Amino acid sequence: MGLDLDYLERSARGEFDLGWLRNGKSEWGVRAKPSKTGLTMRDIAIGTYGEVPDHAPRRTMAPRGSDVDPDVPDLGYTINDKAEVWSDNLLDLYEEGVSRQWSATRDIPWGELPDLAPDLEHSMCQLATVLSQVEMVAADFPAKWLWRINQDFVEAKMFLCTQVMDEARHTEVFRKRALANGGGLGRASAVVERFLQLILDAESYDEGSALMHLLGEGIVLSLFRAGEFLAPSHVEKHIFRLCMQDEARHVAYGTMHLRYRLERDPLMAEDYHAYLDKGEEIIAMIFATPEIVEPTMILAAGGVEQAAELGAGAGNVLRHQIIEEYLKRCKHAGLDRQGRLHLPEVLIKDVPGAMAVGAA
Amino acid sequence: MMTNIDAPFPSERWFTELIARAMSDGPLMERLGIADLRLGVEVLDSHSTPTLFGIVLDGYDIEAVGEVNGTEFEPEVVVSGSIDTWREMVASIETHGRADSTHTLNSLAIVGAPLSIRAADPMGNDKFFRYMGTLQAIFDSAGSPAIAASGR
Repeated sequence: MGLDLDYLERSARGEFDLGWLRNGKSEWGVRAKPSKTGLTMRDIAIGTYGEVPDHAPRRTMAPRGSDVDPDVPDLGYTINDKAEVWSDNLLDLYEEGVSRQWSATRDIPWGELPDLAPDLEHSMCQLATVLSQVEMVAADFPAKWLWRINQDFVEAKMFLCTQVMDEARHTEVFRKRALANGGGLGRASAVVERFLQLILDAESYDEGSALMHLLGEGIVLSLFRAGEFLAPSHVEKHIFRLCMQDEARHVAYGTMHLRYRLERDPLMAEDYHAYLDKGEEIIAMIFATPEIVEPTMILAAGGVEQAAELGAGAGNVLRHQIIEEYLKRCKHAGLDRQGRLHLPEVLIKDVPGAMAVGAA
Repeated sequence: MMTNIDAPFPSERWFTELIARAMSDGPLMERLGIADLRLGVEVLDSHSTPTLFGIVLDGYDIEAVGEVNGTEFEPEVVVSGSIDTWREMVASIETHGRADSTHTLNSLAIVGAPLSIRAADPMGNDKFFRYMGTLQAIFDSAGSPAIAASGR
């Protein structure tokens, strides 16, 4: 392929090629109709344009449904099967992600942060440090895989782009919180970093998505929800609520993606079990990491002194909720982790349906 | 001027007026973003007899569908509590203009009491959190100015 000098001369004389116009195979006359919120991705999933191939026939950035020049180069995508990234709720989640964006600069009443007792401020800042640390992995992981995902699954890529933006905002808002009220950043834990490393080093999108969307973000979703009783003021409550909405979208994708994957290839269940075995072992360590457990208990109890008496109870409630919700999501996705949990008995005692591997 | 909803809680008229107030703040609802949910609000009377009210979120639209039969309405998620709990929440909203921090939907439901959440599957359960900002704004509308043309 080179510069076509003849064409330059012909077109300068007004002799157009018009092959793109006459030989097009596109569906002339297709008119996507806007629905009541505007022209959505679901509205344009019509005719052949809405048909997503189970296996991408080529590896190019050509828009799905376009007439593709036979000379397009192979861009080397490695994720070329729809089931590797798809979920049935993808189109709606993308629209929702775009529609429900918020601003960590504009939408948080930063000026209303009250002065807090030093132990509460330290605890809030430590939690903000951990969250600022973990949230960006949920941008790094999709970003790492985005360019490997075939363009025929562009809706999945677009959704993951919204997640990248969401996580940038979460990192931003917790960094801002740590710096906004006199406390500053706390300690970044090595155990947390090991879990992030596991996600980033995942050998496949399947593995990383299970660890991140289902396990990691499921935990963070429960933590954001618990922000109602962890937050020392209405400002942090607002932060947690806004983040919670975003995180729930990501978890909804992860759960339904796993379900889509397993419905088409049930034999992959054992692979997923193995991924989550590894992840849960590190999560168990996180449940015993002072930089996470202690600020959570102190915030829940309202101070260091009260934490010894009240904090453990609140911590147990939160941990039980995390594990119970995680088990339900796994089951809904078609992966029954009951009886296979790689968490020590002390952590799952009294959680309905939870049983460690080998405990039966 | 803020006026409490001129209908007893719970009643179809109360929910209709609530949704009318919420929908009257179009810019807020658009800023909160689109939502897609069939929510059941269950009120248990002093004998724990449930009455279910349906709310449908569809894009930017919100509809109060009145008292519903759970089987026919098929809510994706139901938030349930005693009439005293609901009334206390409404009173908090009416007093402060919005729920105070101990009377938000999430704070009341976080440990499963005094409000509880049930859903047929975890997706319905998680939708409660995905749309929390919208749901709270809807209920906080009970503390917003009355709608002149609401037909009350």
